[in-house]
Amino acid sequence: MRKPVIKVSALILLLTILMMLTGTAAFAQTDQHIYDQAGLLTDSEISDLEAYAAEKSREQGTEFLLLTTDSTSGMPIIDYMGDFYDNLADQTGMENAVLLTIDIGGREFYLAGFGNAKTRLDNERVEMVLDRITPYMAQGQYAGAFRETIETADRYMEYKPGVNPESIFLQTWFHAAVALILAGGIVGTMLYNSGGRNTTTAATYIDRDHTRVTRDSDRFRNKTVTRRRIPKNNNSGGGFGGGGGMTGGGRSFSGGGRSF
Amino acid sequence: MVTHYKCPNCGSDMAFDATSGMLSCPNCGRQDDIETFPEENIQQKFAPEEAKEYHCENCGAVLLTEAETTATHCSFCGAPVVLADRLTGDLAPAKVIPFTISKDEAVAAFRKWTKNGRLTPRGFMNGDRIKKMTGMYVPFWLYDINGKAEVAAIGTRMRTYQQGDTVITETDFYDVYREIDLSYLKVPADASEKMDDELMDKLEPYDYSDLKDFRMPYLAGFLAEKYDFDEDALFSRVESKIVPYIDSYIGSTISGYSTISYTNKQINANKYKVYYTLFPVWMVYYDFENKEHTFAMNGQTGKVVGKPPISGGKVAAWFTGIAVSTFAALKAISYLVGGVLW
Repeated sequence: MRKPVIKVSALILLLTILMMLTGTAAFAQTDQHIYDQAGLLTDSEISDLEAYAAEKSREQGTEFLLLTTDSTSGMPIIDYMGDFYDNLADQTGMENAVLLTIDIGGREFYLAGFGNAKTRLDNERVEMVLDRITPYMAQGQYAGAFRETIETADRYMEYKPGVNPESIFLQTWFHAAVALILAGGIVGTMLYNSGGRNTTTAATYIDRDHTRVTRDSDRFRNKTVTRRRIPKNNNSGGGFGGGGGMTGGGRSFSGGGRSF
Repeated sequence: MVTHYKCPNCGSDMAFDATSGMLSCPNCGRQDDIETFPEENIQQKFAPEEAKEYHCENCGAVLLTEAETTATHCSFCGAPVVLADRLTGDLAPAKVIPFTISKDEAVAAFRKWTKNGRLTPRGFMNGDRIKKMTGMYVPFWLYDINGKAEVAAIGTRMRTYQQGDTVITETDFYDVYREIDLSYLKVPADASEKMDDELMDKLEPYDYSDLKDFRMPYLAGFLAEKYDFDEDALFSRVESKIVPYIDSYIGSTISGYSTISYTNKQINANKYKVYYTLFPVWMVYYDFENKEHTFAMNGQTGKVVGKPPISGGKVAAWFTGIAVSTFAALKAISYLVGGVLW
């Protein structure tokens, strides 16, 4: 009886070691997540966020990156971001990444998802993340914006592709509310009916032979027409580059940007 | 006036048997049809006009009755008696629905009902503590009602469509007018002050195909009461009962509109026929945890009404059970759809 137990535990140990090895191997592609070329963050913010980004990157299998710059040297922010990523990916061989680019010169920011993050953080989800970080950007809290990006993207990427992660039907409070209301309704009805129900209806005592409409009229009187214009979807703060695209190096991505 | 129904065979006091619908003799088992029961076996004795005291013709004991009682048992010898002068003249019932559920069947039906109580305490569900079962004919007024309703309303039909980036809503307004003849037959209202109106309403409906012309022998062996409220006093109660029926009928005649708002609604209902009728009710007195609970059973259909004791534990268990399983089911669905549990 002892032998199989030892065998199994040895196997588990071996598997654990193997997973740890491959895990570190797969995710140790980069140890730098923050490229603060514009110097927007303090040293302590950088070290904090590096640690946080590293942890979440390992969990998700996707690198969370931040790029800041004073100037895109005349290029659109999307192209600047694309070139930067092509360069980085060629060097480190990274496949999957979520990249937040802040151009403090042009006062624009752009969020992109590469590799598996392209589907796991699709365009709709990018827009939802942008909605959440825009207030941070407006207030100049760039560290907060990046932290929020990691936190929200990390959460959204758990959901199956194509699903709206903020949908009310997926919220725990909604499930709890429905469960409580349903239970209350059913038990309440049971209590109400425990003393016997009234089973007579409008049809019980009616005399169908002598109950009838003797005169009726439905006369058209007047007509009103109301028109309402459908408001156009305009992103506050000016959105651009929604829908993602392709980098110069041929890497396609999901993404969206705002100015602030 | 005290009435006994004497068995033509052996002279015992006969009582109405709910199972067979006949007068039956508890002693020799003889059964007689109520319609053809020989006159000479109906023993009646007129009480003196002044004295409101009745004596049992069997044993001579004074019958202890309340003023409303019209049928009872002699408390001394147990013989079924019918107090006939309380059932004649103005007090003569026009119709009766005889008991079709006998006492044994009533006990069985009540036990079955207690077993179905999903929120009642376990001890109550045994149904074995019936203190007393009383078969009682409860006085009802049945109203045949006819009337007219005149209704004016404004109905709208709405149509919404999109043209370019504009949503256009077209609303057509209509003047709606209806004149309706109304007729409702044999709407009951209980005329006994003792009986809880709500309880009696819940006992409905009775099957009117068993409605018989009243004959006194139906009451032999049961309790019966005479009415406390006359037909005029109760009409307002019947009116309030049928107004919702009328409203729903009016609503059913106006269809095809998105919204309807009534500008004028006049309902005029009159009684044109009234039947003083006795309905069969089994009263069940049940002891549970030192408290007496009263239930009523429709003596024709077996429907039971009355507030049973409620077990807090069972209510909590049902609530928790439903809430937890619903929550789990929703979580499972959202996991399948969204891929995330929390």
